Amino acid sequence: MYRAYGGLVYAVAYRVLGRPDLAEEAAQQTFVRAWQAADRLDPNRDPGPWLATIAKRAALDIHRREARRRAHSLDDVATDHPAVVTLPPDTDSLDAVWQVRRAIESLPPDEATIVRLQHLEDITHTEIAAKLGIAVGTVKSRSHRAHTKLAALLGHLREPAS
Amino acid sequence: MTKRVSNADRWALITGGRTRPLVPSEATEVSLLAELLADPSTWVEPQAGLEDTVVRAVVDAGPYLHLAPEPQPVPTSRWHHRVAMIGGAAAAAVILIALFAGVFVRHTEARIVYDGELQATALAPSAHASAGVMQSDAGFRVVLDAHELPQLPEGRYYQAWLKNAQGIGVPIGTFSSSQDYVTLWAGASPDEFPIISVTIEAADDNQASSGQAVLVGQLHAV
Repeated sequence: MYRAYGGLVYAVAYRVLGRPDLAEEAAQQTFVRAWQAADRLDPNRDPGPWLATIAKRAALDIHRREARRRAHSLDDVATDHPAVVTLPPDTDSLDAVWQVRRAIESLPPDEATIVRLQHLEDITHTEIAAKLGIAVGTVKSRSHRAHTKLAALLGHLREPAS
Repeated sequence: MTKRVSNADRWALITGGRTRPLVPSEATEVSLLAELLADPSTWVEPQAGLEDTVVRAVVDAGPYLHLAPEPQPVPTSRWHHRVAMIGGAAAAAVILIALFAGVFVRHTEARIVYDGELQATALAPSAHASAGVMQSDAGFRVVLDAHELPQLPEGRYYQAWLKNAQGIGVPIGTFSSSQDYVTLWAGASPDEFPIISVTIEAADDNQASSGQAVLVGQLHAV
């Protein structure tokens, strides 16, 4: 289960907590909680959504703990002061992180690499081609294929309101 | 740092270069997708050692299903103690892997052969449930996904039944109030006992149904 979902759990935790050490703690707690609640897992359903729910709760629990710790150390500042309170991402966006991450993991590695370079590292087709040592046309075709697949997999994220 | 891949470029990539204007709801979602694709958390990978850390934490968390631990013989020396600890951890790891692997094996092999929706009665008007039935060598595994069943007072519990057209019922298991899945087992086939119901029963020596049904439905072959 870790090998299938470890990266997803870690990504959601990282989105909430923004720190590798806390995200690892949340991932660890997620699998422990999943283990302790394994009797509630329906083996005939995809365990992903169930695990995502546990991951979100574990990460948000740690976020609340860390927020209290920060507020406590600033005892001359009100705990609800906007400067010391960091709101966690809303749960919809955490669901979206899970789904986007899962969609990316379903891409062939060469396509996922191009999507990452385009969006995360913010570099152009020409620079990607130079970096990977492939033709610009290959970058463009792989990018197009990857985005077409992502659009199909994530279409529900942008369905127009009926 | 100046963004060299503009938001317009990102949108074009995500929407496949669609020319018609996006409606506001589409624009919101495309914007979210563009943001997530540019977010480090979408791409971040845990350290390689996290898997070992997780397995150790799960092993340390103790046995699955809150089972009471088996009595262990008292170790006679520190060496025996260490051997027992290592053996216990290894056994727990094997159980863990087997359980989690089993989940996936069953996920791919088990198939729902009957299903049905259960309707609430006046005794629990907010309740609702669905049931899926899988067949195995041991019988029929009925997974009931029940919601809004009220908490019962002490000494009372819910009992699930399969019934035939003549009203003869076969008990398939008991449970307390639930917002989650309940696994029940039946030796009788839903072909012959297609009606599924849940009643409120008292913890007494009367094994017959109380007749106080809270959920009733019909199972259909899938």
